[in-house]
Amino acid sequence: MAKKQTSKQITIQKRRRRQWMTFVRMCRYGVNNFSRNAWLTVAATAVMTITLLSIFMTLSARDILINTVDDVQKKVDLSIYVKTDVSDEAVETIENDLNKLSSVETVTYVSPEEAREDFAKANKDKPESLNALNEATNRFPGTFRVVVKDINDTSQLEKFTKDNQTYRDNRDPNRDPSFSGGGKDTINTIGSWVSLAERVGYVLSAVFVALSSLIIFNTIRMAIFNRKEEIQMMKLIGADRQFIRGPFIVEAVVYGFIAAVIATGAGLGMLMLVQRSLSDFGAAVNSTIDTVTTYIGFVLLAMIVLGAIIGILSSLLATRRYLKI
Amino acid sequence: MILLDRVTKTYGKSTTPALQRISLHVEPREFVILVGTSGAGKSTLLKLLTREEKPTSGKIVVGGIDYDTLKDKHIPLLRRKIGVVFQDFKLLPQRTVFENIAFALEIAGMTNREIKTTVPKVIELVGLTGKEKSFPHQLSGGERQRVAIARAVVRQPKILIADEPTGNLDPRHSWDIVRLLEKINRYGTTVLLTTHNVEIVNRLKRRVVTLEHGKITSDQAQGSYRQ
Repeated sequence: MAKKQTSKQITIQKRRRRQWMTFVRMCRYGVNNFSRNAWLTVAATAVMTITLLSIFMTLSARDILINTVDDVQKKVDLSIYVKTDVSDEAVETIENDLNKLSSVETVTYVSPEEAREDFAKANKDKPESLNALNEATNRFPGTFRVVVKDINDTSQLEKFTKDNQTYRDNRDPNRDPSFSGGGKDTINTIGSWVSLAERVGYVLSAVFVALSSLIIFNTIRMAIFNRKEEIQMMKLIGADRQFIRGPFIVEAVVYGFIAAVIATGAGLGMLMLVQRSLSDFGAAVNSTIDTVTTYIGFVLLAMIVLGAIIGILSSLLATRRYLKI
Repeated sequence: MILLDRVTKTYGKSTTPALQRISLHVEPREFVILVGTSGAGKSTLLKLLTREEKPTSGKIVVGGIDYDTLKDKHIPLLRRKIGVVFQDFKLLPQRTVFENIAFALEIAGMTNREIKTTVPKVIELVGLTGKEKSFPHQLSGGERQRVAIARAVVRQPKILIADEPTGNLDPRHSWDIVRLLEKINRYGTTVLLTTHNVEIVNRLKRRVVTLEHGKITSDQAQGSYRQ
């Protein structure tokens, strides 16, 4: 049997119903304002779209840059040379020891025979080089090609070349590992480019987000400035701050929503458009497109949330000065 | 209904007060006309009543609410008890006649059903039946002022403040508005009307309070006015 409601419960229920009703009204007014202010709607939505599109493109560009540098980094391997007559057991031991190092990503061993074949293949159109190869008395060394996780951190590998007994017994006396001397400088340069690319990416993203937010904030502020008399009138007939602010916030959220959908579509379209030409230049654009298309729902949701947040903050700041009693 | 006791208002660092020790008492259901030249202090007086401005000194009590003890968060509630009509109408341009009037009820938290029954009655009272879906820009000046009056009275306030409601209207529409205000007064609402219009003041034969240089210079039960 249903319990009889106390007067307190009824009051709470009524208050909740009234709050819900007020919320629905604010949404309705926000949507009405959006649809009835044609020029303002188009202007604000366009600015918001450009804002979100620049954020999308900046983040994508950063992703492409990092992926590209990452690809380049993976192509750079460090070489450790061993004597031509190294035993299979020694090769296996060194390879295993290298693989145990936490800073090592992959290790590939190229035997002297393979190195010779590779050289012959690479120089098949150069008879002089091939003749030199046939006449040469010195044979090719065995090579361990090592890809490290962080190109800036080769200290563990350097330590290995000093401390590992098997390597020390079998090292090629004529060839030092390639990360020492001149090779180290190249590797360091690539490493610092990777860090720079990441930092520049972060800074550029932050600058774009800040600039775009300022632009959209000013657009919404102008829109609200145009309606300051309306706000004044609402105050005078007894509307409270929430009721006045509400529709402006809803309106800004609608701008954000529509702009997010357009910006995501346009951004993805632009990426696909430049996919081929960027790939030809060696930029790793495919993985960015794959990420965006795989997680399109999340990307769209993130853009909508971002647009809504920028819109809400702008509206709150812009209406604040007109809401003083 | 309205009590002002030695109220003074000075703006910023000005040495001349806009209102100087004004004392005024308006009874419930009274119809009071406030007259005076521009700069006499009429608008300041109305702004004090709607709590847009705070007095520099003195006491104000409206509808039993003492402004000295009124908190800022309760100002919207006070304004819902006072109907205000402006010379420039101050309607919401993007909303229809019905929506403009309903807005006053919506902010007070009335249900849609109550709004649907109340608004048409007020629209009929101000003679705008058939114009419910029109937007303000589609109406004449007189019609817009009727909408503003409907919005002001739809919550059945005890007090209606009309600040130069005929200022932007031709004589025929001005008289329509004045008759409407009289009708509202007959239903029991206290009306405080400010106007420059000599003819309206003299023909209404109501209480006339004259303001000059921030002071009340005359208060006549059935007054007249000469510019």
